[in-house]
Amino acid sequence: MSDTRILARAAAIGLALAVAAGAVHAKDQVIIDLVNEPATLDPHLQWNPDSYWVYRNVFDNVVTRDNAGQIVPQLATSWKRLSDTEIEFTFRSDVKFHDGTPLTMDDVVYSVKRITDPAFGSPQLGQFNKIIKAEATGANTVKLTTDGAYPALLAQLVKLSIVPKHVVEKVGKDEFNVKPVGSGPYRLETWQRGVQVTLSRNDAYWGDKGAFKTALFRGVPDAATRVANLLAGTSDLVVTLNSDLAQQVEKSGRAKVLTVQTERVAYFAMNSFKAPLNDVRMRLAIAHAIDKEGIVEGILMKYPRVVGELVSPFHFGWADGVDSIPYDVKKAKELVAQMGAAAKTPMELATAPVYDQRVVQAIQQMLADIGLNVQIKMTDMATWLQGQQSAQDVAPMLTFSRWSCACQDADGIMFPLLHSSSAWSRVKNDKIDQLLAAARSEPDEARRKGLYGDVHKLVREEVPVIPLYADAIIYGGAKQLKWTPTPNESMFLNRMGWSE
Amino acid sequence: MGRFFLRRFGQAAIAIFGVTTLVFFIQRLTGDPTLLLVPETATKADIEAMRHTLGLDRPMIVQYATFLWDLLRFDLGRSFIQNVAVTTIIAARLPYTLALAGGALFVAFVIGVPVGVLLAMRRGKASSGGLMGVVLAAQSMPTFWSGILLIMVFAVWLGWLPPSGPGGFSHLIMPSVALGLLSMATFARITRTSILDELSKDYVRSARARGVSTRRLVLRHLVRNASIPVVSIAALEISHLLAGAVIVETVFAWPGLGLLTIQSIVSRDFLVVQAIVLLGAFVTIGLNFLADILYSVIDPRIRLDGGPS
Repeated sequence: MSDTRILARAAAIGLALAVAAGAVHAKDQVIIDLVNEPATLDPHLQWNPDSYWVYRNVFDNVVTRDNAGQIVPQLATSWKRLSDTEIEFTFRSDVKFHDGTPLTMDDVVYSVKRITDPAFGSPQLGQFNKIIKAEATGANTVKLTTDGAYPALLAQLVKLSIVPKHVVEKVGKDEFNVKPVGSGPYRLETWQRGVQVTLSRNDAYWGDKGAFKTALFRGVPDAATRVANLLAGTSDLVVTLNSDLAQQVEKSGRAKVLTVQTERVAYFAMNSFKAPLNDVRMRLAIAHAIDKEGIVEGILMKYPRVVGELVSPFHFGWADGVDSIPYDVKKAKELVAQMGAAAKTPMELATAPVYDQRVVQAIQQMLADIGLNVQIKMTDMATWLQGQQSAQDVAPMLTFSRWSCACQDADGIMFPLLHSSSAWSRVKNDKIDQLLAAARSEPDEARRKGLYGDVHKLVREEVPVIPLYADAIIYGGAKQLKWTPTPNESMFLNRMGWSE
Repeated sequence: MGRFFLRRFGQAAIAIFGVTTLVFFIQRLTGDPTLLLVPETATKADIEAMRHTLGLDRPMIVQYATFLWDLLRFDLGRSFIQNVAVTTIIAARLPYTLALAGGALFVAFVIGVPVGVLLAMRRGKASSGGLMGVVLAAQSMPTFWSGILLIMVFAVWLGWLPPSGPGGFSHLIMPSVALGLLSMATFARITRTSILDELSKDYVRSARARGVSTRRLVLRHLVRNASIPVVSIAALEISHLLAGAVIVETVFAWPGLGLLTIQSIVSRDFLVVQAIVLLGAFVTIGLNFLADILYSVIDPRIRLDGGPS
């Protein structure tokens, strides 16, 4: 192709693009910059924030959490326990899908069966496979049966979207994924692949209607660019900023920082199957060497909160008064001295770009200060995950990570990180195993809380992992945007507003 | 001519086969998309179930054979992550990549070639040294930095241009400049060398003796004769532009193939990566082929068979 023809073609495409999209910025439209475009909009098929931030506005869930974090009715108006393993939900009768068809108990039962069918291959299977039976017991009631007592069920149902049986069966999985039909406050208008998803308000919605007529979700991978968009006024809400960028937004005077502490807990894991980390003195030395307050105040600008237990205050299972192991270099050095030459064993600290590298490097320095030999090993996320879930003898010695189960229940974080049956766990402690297994199926709330309290104490004594801080999620918002971010990192358009 | 084509097709087939095979195995050795798809709380059994659904639990060689068989039938498969045909995903991104590559090439060519001519004509003068410095600076600036700098200045402070994303013609300007500056320097340097080369030739001396003005000499004779190396570089530069686009597209949230490449590699969306690499191989080979043909158009003395001229 000659150069002139290339140029001619480019010019033609440029013109076509110009005609195709001239983004208008009006008050009745909110523009949200995500990191990437959603992967799919079938709520049963995808589990990542960029997808669910969009599709949770298109679909309703069985229950939801209010801004304070309490579980409150959404499609289900009430529920009662029939036995330890059975719970009956009463549903609204005035809900219609976007195609006008009423939402029935058939749809609810179908949705449960769809997401729990191993052949369907939902990534969320593990969140719902304790449900072994779903049956309609009346015109507006559905009974769910679990495999044993399962106290975390309600917390999980916050994430169960109800899909219309008749549409899914008619168009199939591949089509539904690009043209979803839900019952939520917004409906899918267009999906310009790679560019943006446009939702429009569902004016027939049964609940709180959105303030914006349309919402645009765009993928903007570079965080600095997201901030530039916000400051230039071409977007109204941007996600996932770090503390540096938050300061930039704050100082600009053109936009504001919207932040909340979340249920995402940052922790430092040590492989207690490998020497010298199999010695509790070594693990305790590391715990004393890490200056948690220093990290939170010096690097993270006080957005997160230091925690001494492996849950956040937003989890069921949080116990007041569990202090973090104090920063004490002198004590750490004494313990290291007791360990002798073993303390000098080279140790790899596994990390991936998604984790704040400033924190990783600070921890490396703190451990070097007490005489440990720690090397940072950075890999991409897929490789890092593979390392985390491999056998103990090849799994990394040290790991900095953050964990959210999006369920606000201790079981969702403590079981995978501490129970010896989990691929993520770097510890085998029979007492901890017993307590976690008992808490998992304890229907009595007070007793269950007590069991987790006992685990917190053991974790503080045995130090299999070091809880660091309950992280904050930081958004940037236009000055006039009214929105309260929530600890479970949800983003509901019908809870947003605009002040003139 | 026939032999030339035959040889080229043979080479292309081997190169494409080699590249796709490499990519197929390297990706699968370095990570598993299943782990990225499931929530952190998934158990080993959940992960195995997911792997089975995606067909990743089959032996590697079976997966490879399936891939080749599908390829022969022009079936590139469906994305694991997006559950959409790979061709749909790529087709949506292609126009943006072409627009950006075109814009960048325009910037590179329209600035680079005249700068090169100027550098050649003013060789040895102070102004030429200064200009060369500017060219080198343009080439040395990393695009992730120059890109964000452009955005801060022209979108945030001055408010003249949209900061990111696709849209109208104005959206194309900054990414094209950021990407084009890199190639601009290459064009300038090649043009300069090539013109200097021509200046020392006999026909130039005789033209000067006839009293032809420098301006006329450069525009009428030199540029055409000096353009052969520039054309071959253009073919190479287009492949470079496609590669450099990975960073520029990320900074400017430009939904082209570069951004798709990085997203697909990160999420181990094997089939999409394979398809992009396949496309890249085709484009590179095709462009080199075109460059060879263009040589013979510009300079009829060049014969493609490689026989005596």
